[in-house]
Amino acid sequence: MFKKIGLAVTFSPNSKALLKETKLYSDQFSSEVIFIHVGSKSDSIEERLKELIVSGGFAPESINIVWGQGDPAKVINKKCEENNIDLLIAGALEKEKVIKYYIGSVARKLMRDPVCSLFVLTEPSLEPKPFKKISVQIDYSYESEILVNIAYQLAIKEKASEICLIREYEVPGLAITVYDTGSTDETEKIRKKWHSEEKEKMDVFINELNLTGIKVRGVCLYGKEGWEASNFVKENNSDLLIMSAPSKKLSFIDRFFQHNEEFIFKELPCSILLIK
Amino acid sequence: MNLTPEDITRFLIAISVMLFAAKVFGELLRLIKQPSVVGEILAGIILGPTVFGSIAPDMFNTIFANSKSTDIAIDGITNLAVIMLLLVSGLEVNLSLVFKQGKTALYTSVIGMVFPFAIGFLAAYYFPEFLGIKDSALRLIFALFVGTALSITALPVVARTLMDLNIFKTQIGFLIIASAMFNDLIGWLVFSFILGMLGQSGHGFDISVIITSTLVFIAFMLLVGRKIFNKIIPFIQNKTSYPGGILNFIFILGFLGAALTEYIGIHAIFGAFIVGIAIGDSAHLKEQTREMVQQFVTNIFAPLFFVSIGLRVNFITSFDFMIVLIFVVLAFAGKVIGCGLGAYWGGMKKDEALAIGFGMNSRGAMEIVLGILALQAGLIHERVFVALVIMALVTSLSSAPFMNYFLKRFKDSINVNSLLKPDLVFYTNSDSKESVIEELIRKLSEKYKLDYSYIKSEVMKRESIISTGLGNHLALPHAKIKISEVHFAVAISKEGIEFDSLDDKPAKIIILLLTPFDHPELQLRLISEISKKFKDEDAIKELIDSDNISKFITNFKSL
Repeated sequence: MFKKIGLAVTFSPNSKALLKETKLYSDQFSSEVIFIHVGSKSDSIEERLKELIVSGGFAPESINIVWGQGDPAKVINKKCEENNIDLLIAGALEKEKVIKYYIGSVARKLMRDPVCSLFVLTEPSLEPKPFKKISVQIDYSYESEILVNIAYQLAIKEKASEICLIREYEVPGLAITVYDTGSTDETEKIRKKWHSEEKEKMDVFINELNLTGIKVRGVCLYGKEGWEASNFVKENNSDLLIMSAPSKKLSFIDRFFQHNEEFIFKELPCSILLIK
Repeated sequence: MNLTPEDITRFLIAISVMLFAAKVFGELLRLIKQPSVVGEILAGIILGPTVFGSIAPDMFNTIFANSKSTDIAIDGITNLAVIMLLLVSGLEVNLSLVFKQGKTALYTSVIGMVFPFAIGFLAAYYFPEFLGIKDSALRLIFALFVGTALSITALPVVARTLMDLNIFKTQIGFLIIASAMFNDLIGWLVFSFILGMLGQSGHGFDISVIITSTLVFIAFMLLVGRKIFNKIIPFIQNKTSYPGGILNFIFILGFLGAALTEYIGIHAIFGAFIVGIAIGDSAHLKEQTREMVQQFVTNIFAPLFFVSIGLRVNFITSFDFMIVLIFVVLAFAGKVIGCGLGAYWGGMKKDEALAIGFGMNSRGAMEIVLGILALQAGLIHERVFVALVIMALVTSLSSAPFMNYFLKRFKDSINVNSLLKPDLVFYTNSDSKESVIEELIRKLSEKYKLDYSYIKSEVMKRESIISTGLGNHLALPHAKIKISEVHFAVAISKEGIEFDSLDDKPAKIIILLLTPFDHPELQLRLISEISKKFKDEDAIKELIDSDNISKFITNFKSL
């Protein structure tokens, strides 16, 4: 599924936990791991990094570190492109402080402009635990089918108990039609009709994928995209949300006029796998 | 000036009569599927000097034109109504949707504003006498006004039309709504500045102060205010009595915003509109609350405003055919060409672009609000106002039929019955799954010049995942392929074909469904629609036993 995994390795408190998690996934996917370090190269730093990586469970002879200097997010993305990395693993806080959210931490910057798939772990552990409930944000597109297939493969490997497909839909301006009907009943009726159509589409979508050996559930939610998924994932206690990477780089303005991904990025409801 | 008990009595009777007439005519218009605002305006025309006032002038004067103090009271209420109307309009402007719709929405709304504005401005600036303007001092402001009046779109009418045409929840529906929202925002901003230039509002600030203050107000509300409201709304919804608490909060902020912009020197409506946007953006604001606010304003206050229009103006003596004609022609040309070109350049097909042009052409209530404010400010005279009202009615009433005409081939409105073609329904003697699928593909390939091998490989690839024998004698082989239209063919097997169906029954009706690769939802919807048709066993038996193709099609459509 992912041939090359990248991990930005630093001497931060959760580095070892991230290494352990990376080791688990590289074994699961039989992937090569490339370690990225942002900072100047010296023998002593290299030695310390190797010690750290070995403590994460990697064999010394398999360690491949690439080096770069500059803005951490830019360097990491550049190294990912240069080394054809198809999955980058990173740790991130669930919620940043307000100013940091708007300025952007390294993890958030990577999420807003990923050059490859990105696995954001909110609680990396020294003893990685498998994901039990995996949610997938879908819109029935071809890309959604890819997301579900990845979720399925991961769920089988992790022995997850369920995959939950989340479809959010919203019809902005619907309330304004009350103006001319003078009745909320009609609006409610049309909303129910749309909901039942969405459920029917979801059933066909799930049926078409024919995923066996795991419980697959579909939920259709009326409301703002991203916002509804984020709330559902929290309520459902999902421990992983798989979603498409932003189709274009999210800018400062997207943080102000939040939509889709930014609702999720602002306060990560669980670990996130962004598929590019 | 105090209201005497007699004034109060007459005022209350006037309000009751206005509300009653508005409701009656609004409901009548709804019965014939037309915007209720048209009925409300008609009610005003009938109650006003045009009809009632000329038939029974004494009674008209007794009820509606009795004293200065009641005039002021009615004026106050209608002003409040306009502010509330703009507040609720703002609540439904979803800026994120505008950003999300991207290039097509941007092109549609920007070109759809600039083009009508330009032709309206040029026509009014160079030929003001045709539009009845003789005062050369007002020429520039009048030209700006006409440009704005032509470039505005009425979101409520657009939303209603999309709902009636069943395309609200489609890509084209989202695009029209997003463009209309953007139009509203820019239109009201420009119009507020025009009113500011007339010096009707505010405290005589310099125009540079007015512009700077307005921009600061917009930036503060949309960047900071929005965030603050978003934090407060869940608190109010949870901690105060619902819905009283949140309704109170919305109106307090709306009126404060209105007061501020009135103070700055642009009209109060703009403040209410911007506050509406800032509040409406909150993900916490319940849909139920939005609908409640809409109902409150549009059932009580808005009808009073629309009826009051007819009370002020005599539509017969102020009717000028030439001005009406000019406005109607400019309105159609400006919006249909402007929005149509914008949508076309933004990537829509010709028919879709034209449908968007006509959809955006409806001016409805917003045009009338704009007109009445301009009339009150002395910018236009009654003949221009009447022309604007008629133009608003004509564009609103014509929007749905034109859209419907151009959207006939629109994919999202396709249903299974519309896909059934007699020459693509046939009886088959095939005795295997593969041979009947090949026969169906051959039929479609020959008719539509499709690549037989490519389609076969895609259909069989899909078939290999899980059988499409859905049960109750239906098999539905399908695939998403690189085509632009949906293709559909039906084979009827009297003997039945083994299709690995869920209920082990042989497939007797085999439908091949090919949908465009880039419309995945369409495939899901059509599959779901077909599956639902095949629930009733008796009806399916009757369908299979159909004597001929024509009977089969009739029975199929009635499922």
